[in-house]
Amino acid sequence: MGIASPDLSVKIGKIEMKNPVTVASGTFGFGQEMADFYDLSRLGAIVVKGTSLDPWFGNPYPRTVETPSGMLNAIGLQNDGLESFLSEKLPFLRQFDVPVIVNVVGQSVEEYAEVAAALDKAEGVAGLELNLSCPNVKKGCMIFGSTPEGIAEVIRAVRKRTGLTLITKLSPNVTDIVSIAQAAVEAGSDALSLINTLLGTAIDPWKRKFRLANITGGLSGPAVKPVALRMVWQVASAVDVPIIGMGGIMNAMDAVEFMLAGADAIAVGTGNFVNPMAAVEIVTGIEEYLKATNISDVKKIVGAVN
Amino acid sequence: MKGLCECEIIAQSEISPGVVRTLLTGPEIANEAKPGQFVNVQVARTTTDPLLRRPFSVHAVYPDQGVYSLLYVMVGRGTALLNKIQPGDYVSVVGPLGRGFDLGDSPDAEHIVIAGGCGAAPLHFLCDDLCNKWGCEKVKVLTGGRSKNAVLCEAEFRSHGVDVAVSTDDGTYGHHGVVTELLQRYLDNDAQRTTHNAQRPFRIYSCGPHAMMREVARICAEAGVHDVQLSLENNMACGIGVCTGCVQKIKGPMKNDKSGQNWHYERVCKDGPVFNAEDIIWE
Ligand SMILES: Cc1cc2nc3c(=O)[nH]c(=O)nc-3n(C[C@H](O)[C@H](O)[C@H](O)COP(=O)(O)OP(=O)(O)OC[C@H]3O[C@@H](n4cnc5c(N)ncnc54)[C@H](O)[C@@H]3O)c2cc1C
Ligand SMILES: Cc1cc2nc3c(=O)[nH]c(=O)nc-3n(C[C@H](O)[C@H](O)[C@H](O)COP(=O)(O)O)c2cc1C
Ligand code: FES
Repeated sequence: MGIASPDLSVKIGKIEMKNPVTVASGTFGFGQEMADFYDLSRLGAIVVKGTSLDPWFGNPYPRTVETPSGMLNAIGLQNDGLESFLSEKLPFLRQFDVPVIVNVVGQSVEEYAEVAAALDKAEGVAGLELNLSCPNVKKGCMIFGSTPEGIAEVIRAVRKRTGLTLITKLSPNVTDIVSIAQAAVEAGSDALSLINTLLGTAIDPWKRKFRLANITGGLSGPAVKPVALRMVWQVASAVDVPIIGMGGIMNAMDAVEFMLAGADAIAVGTGNFVNPMAAVEIVTGIEEYLKATNISDVKKIVGAVN
Repeated sequence: MKGLCECEIIAQSEISPGVVRTLLTGPEIANEAKPGQFVNVQVARTTTDPLLRRPFSVHAVYPDQGVYSLLYVMVGRGTALLNKIQPGDYVSVVGPLGRGFDLGDSPDAEHIVIAGGCGAAPLHFLCDDLCNKWGCEKVKVLTGGRSKNAVLCEAEFRSHGVDVAVSTDDGTYGHHGVVTELLQRYLDNDAQRTTHNAQRPFRIYSCGPHAMMREVARICAEAGVHDVQLSLENNMACGIGVCTGCVQKIKGPMKNDKSGQNWHYERVCKDGPVFNAEDIIWE
C-alpha cells in the first residue's frame, strides 16, 4: 500500500517551500508571462531574473543559439532595475502564495550590498540569490564568483545589510567548485544554488562567424546535466547548508537524480522554454516517484544515492 | 489556462519546392489568433536534439472547423522533422503568441500588404481580416520572391479578390526586380494622382527578409507614410517573453535609465513580432 500523500515540503534557510521545485533565474522572467500557464502558487518558490540597482541594457543580438541538446545564451542580464522591480514586479508576485527569491546582480561589491539592503525592507521577498556566476557580463558576477576571496568579500558585504536567507549561486567555470562553495558558506551564505551556465561558443562554418553577437555565451539544458549533477554531489558532500540543484532538469526523474545527489530543492531552467508546464509537472512527478517507492517524505531522498 | 495545446496534424502538403502548408486542429488558436501572431511548435517530441520549439506565423484560421494552418520553408533540421510528422499525429503547440497587426480604425485608409518570400505566411491571414473589416477594394498586395517558385500564396491573395502585383528578382514572373520597387512605384504614382499634399492615408504591412523590410521602412519614411507595421524575427529560445533572448533595438530611452541613452531593447516574441517601422533602429 503506497503512501497516500507524501510530505513534499523542504526548507532552504528560513524559506519554507511547499515542494522542492523552483525555477532558475532568467528562465521565468518575473512570473507575469508564466502566470498565463498555471497558478504560480503551485511552485515551491520563484526565483526571478537577475536584478541590478540601475537598469541594464543587456548584450547585442543574436543572444541565443541552439546547440546539441542545449542552448547558449548571452543575454547580458538585461533588466529594468531595482526601482521597477519594487514598484511593478513585486506587487504582482505578492498575489501568489509562493516565496519569492530575488537573483541579485551587481558590478561592484557596494552595488550588491545596496540592492540587498533595499530588498531587505521590501514586503514579499523571501530570500536573495547572489548571482556571482553569470558568464555574460564584463564586470561583476563571475569575476567575483571565480575565487574564494572574491565570493567571500561580496557575501560578507551583503550579509551585513540583510537578515534575509542568502543563497549564493555558483559558477561551474572554475577549477575547484568545492573550495568556492566552502568559502561562500564560511562568509555567511545560508544556502547554495548550482550550477549557472557553462561558458561556451558556437560558430557558423559557412559564414565563418560566431553565432552569438557576444561571441561567448552560457550553455544550459540537458547537455550540461551530467556536469551539474557531479558538482551538486561534490558540493553537497563537502558543505552542510541546503543546496538548490539545477542544470538540464527537464522532467521529474532528472529532478530526483539531483535530489539523490544531495540537492534539497531543484530549479527548472531551460526546461521552461521547451515545456512551459515543466515545473508543475515535475512537482506531480516527484510525488508519484515517492508514492511508487513508498517514501513518506521527500527529504528522505536528499543525498540518498547509494 | 491558455497557452499549451496538443494539435493534430490533419494534412501537410508541399505547395512549392521546399515550402509546406500544414493544417492542424486547435480550436483555441483558430478562434483567438490575430493576424501577425505566431505559434511555437515542438518539432520532435522524443528527443532533446533539437531542443527548442520553432516559431511559425499563423497562416490561416478556420474558426468554425476549429483548425488553422501554417506555411513554412524547410530551411534546417527542425522544419525537416516537422515535415516528417504524419497526418493523425499530434504536435505540442504554444500559442497564439505575440502582438499582431493593428488593422486601424479609419475607413478612408488604403491598406498595402508587402510580402517577401515566406513572409507571405502571416499576410494571407492579415488580408482575410482586412477584407472582412474594410472591404477588399481597400487592400492591395505586393508580393515578391527570388524566382517564380518563391512567390508564395499569390492564388490565396487573389482569392480574397484583392489587387495583387508580383515581382521576381530574376524576372521569371511579374515585374523583374525586387518587390520594394513595386511599392516605390505605387507611392510615386499616387503622389502624382493626388493634387497638392493631400495624400491618401496609407497603412502599410510587411513581412519578409530583413533587407526588404528595411527598404520598405526607408521608402515609406521618404514618402511621408507613417503607419508602417513590420513583422520581425530573431532567434527565439522561449517564445513567451521570459528569456529576453529575442530582442530588437527600439528608439526611445529605457525606462528608469539614468545613462541618457536614447534606445532600448524590446522582445520580438512578446512586444512584437509586429513593430512600427518608425520605432525600429536598424543595424
Ligand atoms: C515570430 C516568427 C515567425 C515565423 N514564422 C515563420 C513562418 O510562418 N514560416 C516560416 O517558414 N518560417 C517562419 N519563421 C522562421 C522559422 O522559425 C525558422 O525558419 C525555423 O525556426 C528554422 O528551423 P530549422 O530547425 O528548420 O532550421 P535551423 O536548422 O534551426 O536553422 C536553419 C536556418 O534558419 C535560421 N533560423 C533558425 N531559427 C530561426 C528563427 N527563429 N528565425 C529566423 N531564422 C531562424 C538559422 O539561422 C539558420 O540559418 C518565423 C520566425 C519567427 C521568429
Ligand atoms: C536565457 C537564460 C537566462 C539566464 N539568466 C540568469 C540570470 O539572470 N541569473 C542567474 O543567476 N542565472 C541565469 N541563468 C542561468 C540559469 O538560472 C541556470 O543556472 C542554468 O540555465 C542551468 O539550468 P538549466 O540547464 O535548467 O537551464 C540563465 C539561463 C538562461 C538559459
Ligand atoms: S524568445 Fe524568450 S523572450 Fe522572446
